[in-house]
Amino acid sequence: MLLKELRLKNFRQFTGEQSVSFSTDSDKNVTVIMGENGSGKTTLAQAFTWCLYGDTDFEDKSVLCKAMVQAMPPNANETVRVELTLVHNGIEYTAIREQKYTKDGTGVLKRPGQTVFSIAYKAKDGQRVFVKDTETEFRMKEILPRELSRYFFFDGERIDKMSKEIRRGKSTEFAQAVRNLLGLSAFTSTLDHLKSKTGRMSVIKSYESSYDVSSNSKIAEYTAKINDYTDKIAKIDARLEEMENEELVAKDKCAELSKRIHDNVDSEKLAQERERLKRKLQGLIQQRASNGAAMIRKLNSTGPAYFSKKLMKDALQKLSEADKLDKGIPDIHARTIEHLIKRGHCICGAEIAIGNDAYKHLNEVLDFIPPQSIGSLIGQFIRDCELKSKSGESLFEDVSNDYGIVREFDNSYAEVEKDLKMVESRLQGMERVGELQKELQRYEGALRRLQTERDTLNMQKGSYTTSRDRCGTERNELTLKDDNNRKIEVYKAYAEYMYDTLSALYAEQEGATRDEQEKVVNEIFKQIYNGGFSLKIDEKYNIQVIVNDFEGYTDDVETSTAQSISIIFAFIAGVIKMARKSKNPDNEMLVSEPYPLVMDAPLSSFDKRRIKTVCESLPEVAEQVIIFIKDTDGEIAEEYMSSKVGARYLFSKKNEFETELTER
Amino acid sequence: MFDKEYSFRGSHAEKVIKLTAVFDKNKNKLFNRNLDVYLIAPIVGFLYNRKADLDRSGESTKIFPEQLMNERNNLLFTYRLIILLDKEHEPDFEERINKAFRYYGSEKTASDEELYEVYVRGGVDVLYEKLLASIASEEDYLKNLYDFLEEFDERYNQTITTDSILALCRLARS
Repeated sequence: MLLKELRLKNFRQFTGEQSVSFSTDSDKNVTVIMGENGSGKTTLAQAFTWCLYGDTDFEDKSVLCKAMVQAMPPNANETVRVELTLVHNGIEYTAIREQKYTKDGTGVLKRPGQTVFSIAYKAKDGQRVFVKDTETEFRMKEILPRELSRYFFFDGERIDKMSKEIRRGKSTEFAQAVRNLLGLSAFTSTLDHLKSKTGRMSVIKSYESSYDVSSNSKIAEYTAKINDYTDKIAKIDARLEEMENEELVAKDKCAELSKRIHDNVDSEKLAQERERLKRKLQGLIQQRASNGAAMIRKLNSTGPAYFSKKLMKDALQKLSEADKLDKGIPDIHARTIEHLIKRGHCICGAEIAIGNDAYKHLNEVLDFIPPQSIGSLIGQFIRDCELKSKSGESLFEDVSNDYGIVREFDNSYAEVEKDLKMVESRLQGMERVGELQKELQRYEGALRRLQTERDTLNMQKGSYTTSRDRCGTERNELTLKDDNNRKIEVYKAYAEYMYDTLSALYAEQEGATRDEQEKVVNEIFKQIYNGGFSLKIDEKYNIQVIVNDFEGYTDDVETSTAQSISIIFAFIAGVIKMARKSKNPDNEMLVSEPYPLVMDAPLSSFDKRRIKTVCESLPEVAEQVIIFIKDTDGEIAEEYMSSKVGARYLFSKKNEFETELTER
Repeated sequence: MFDKEYSFRGSHAEKVIKLTAVFDKNKNKLFNRNLDVYLIAPIVGFLYNRKADLDRSGESTKIFPEQLMNERNNLLFTYRLIILLDKEHEPDFEERINKAFRYYGSEKTASDEELYEVYVRGGVDVLYEKLLASIASEEDYLKNLYDFLEEFDERYNQTITTDSILALCRLARS
């Protein structure tokens, strides 16, 4: 498959109709499309996927140009179309995908309809013929199955995920697709025709069902049993394969969780610290409140006494000077004086008559004795002074202490709050270990259950296989007794022999192809990334990275981004190179097709030296290279590939919503 | 005196209402009741030499007779202190003694009682100025209270010990 032209109509930022013609020149096989960030490189790369498979990696699944959406009046409709012209197997195809967008009466864009996909090809007479609707998908799969497309339409920004996928846990479909790509499909379909692993009627199966059962009903019985066992075994195999994927997922999860737990061990301690600081803050707030309240309580209860202190002192001083208290005569009451006046003579015998001296003296005394005396009132007053001076004694001291704590609060609060903020910021982004632990246990449990299930299934499979083989032997004995059946048995034996022979050949061929591929991939990998690593491809086309320097260390190792991207480059380049090689008709069983390499921002992770090696090696291995690249990387890339570049385009960004493609 | 319902009026009522209002989320008030303002205000008014006439406009806020009766002794004590010490009101100490102790409760004390009220209102003004006039945030309530008490302490109380008062009490009795 080689790409000739991409035509876009209203696809995201590409307003109106725009097109890019890719260089198909076998010598100048590179097309460079350059643009600043946000100008639409990724969009253009995604246009391929959308056209061929109807899906993009964008979050916003609406592909209609936003500028167009704004310009559309109510009730209007617009169509998005992407056409990709390509040559596959010598035939020129055009893949066309369209999607219609309509605005309702209020000018709101309705949900778009399904995309419509069609494939046309140029017939020998030059006429354009459309592939029947029912066959388009099948034809697409033939041209480029989706599982593989990601490795040819290649997004540098999603490299990590891809490198993980390429290294493990890929589906059998992927392995199958790689085999097809490497030209092994003729083998696999022959083998499938002879003896299908799925339920399809194959040559051997058709023989088995054509035994003449009239001679012996036992034969039919055995056949039924054998079919039953075969079905059961196939089911177990399918389940085992499914489990392998589940197990990989669970193992990945376990590893990831363990790492996260390890990274977050501190979080539990920090969480405790956070609680402690929060309690401390709460305590401070309470303390402040209680001290504030205490200040006020004291003011209200002993304030009057406290404020009176100065007045008491002044008043007492005055009173003590005035000597007002002592002028009374102890135990003498006004009644005593009145009695003396009434009887007319004093205790001393002197006469008391109204108006005489004694009378005057006695009347003066009345002022200083009860009830007229104020001395006792003053005495009570002095007593009050005594009590109050004691009660108001400590007000200021107490209030000072309380207020000291209140004022200290601001400092302590700020300090604790600072600590708390620090702890919280450290905790942010940390995960709760407890929950991670729970999740880890869940996955570990799942792994154990899978292991148990696998053991059970393997045991069952073993017993089914034994039973089936025994039935086969029994049936053989019976069929050999009948001439007709004997003939069938012979045919079947031929078919089985063919199958076995071809299988062995295929295994050998595939092994050789894989070894060859491993070699090619390693050569390319070493070119791009020279370090002490080498790659190993297993029978499912998973790639393992092996460290060469450390003897005995054969485990898969973690890789850096640059390594990952190199692995993918090497792998893809390897597959493409092999595909080109197998075009060479030494062996008619091996046929294949060259493929292009469409890369979006592939060089960002590399240093200059590696960009050079990548730029030099890719046009050598791939028949067609299309690179979307940002200006800075692009200049370097063009410099290294200058002799190979056959077409150059530039994205010119009109605004956030519109980009134009121009030839340079 | 101190046996009938008492009302703060006008601007003084407004100030008393503010002095007895909740000022923070802990439901603190500077003074629990109008009565608590009434107990302190005359002393402050007298010491700061602040007098204020009755403002008959607008607001009023009351103290109930039974509350006054409960604090009668304390109120009377303050009354006596002020009457005993206000030389401006009555230059003759003998007469001040009479006013404070002998005439109390008779019709002779009308001007004395008025004097007391003038100091009560003056004291309310001082308390308001010291405690509430410059409030900018919740923290200022306690800060102003402390500052006021500190100022008061420096101005009047720092040099007066309880012992010195007790000694004076003994002296006055002898």
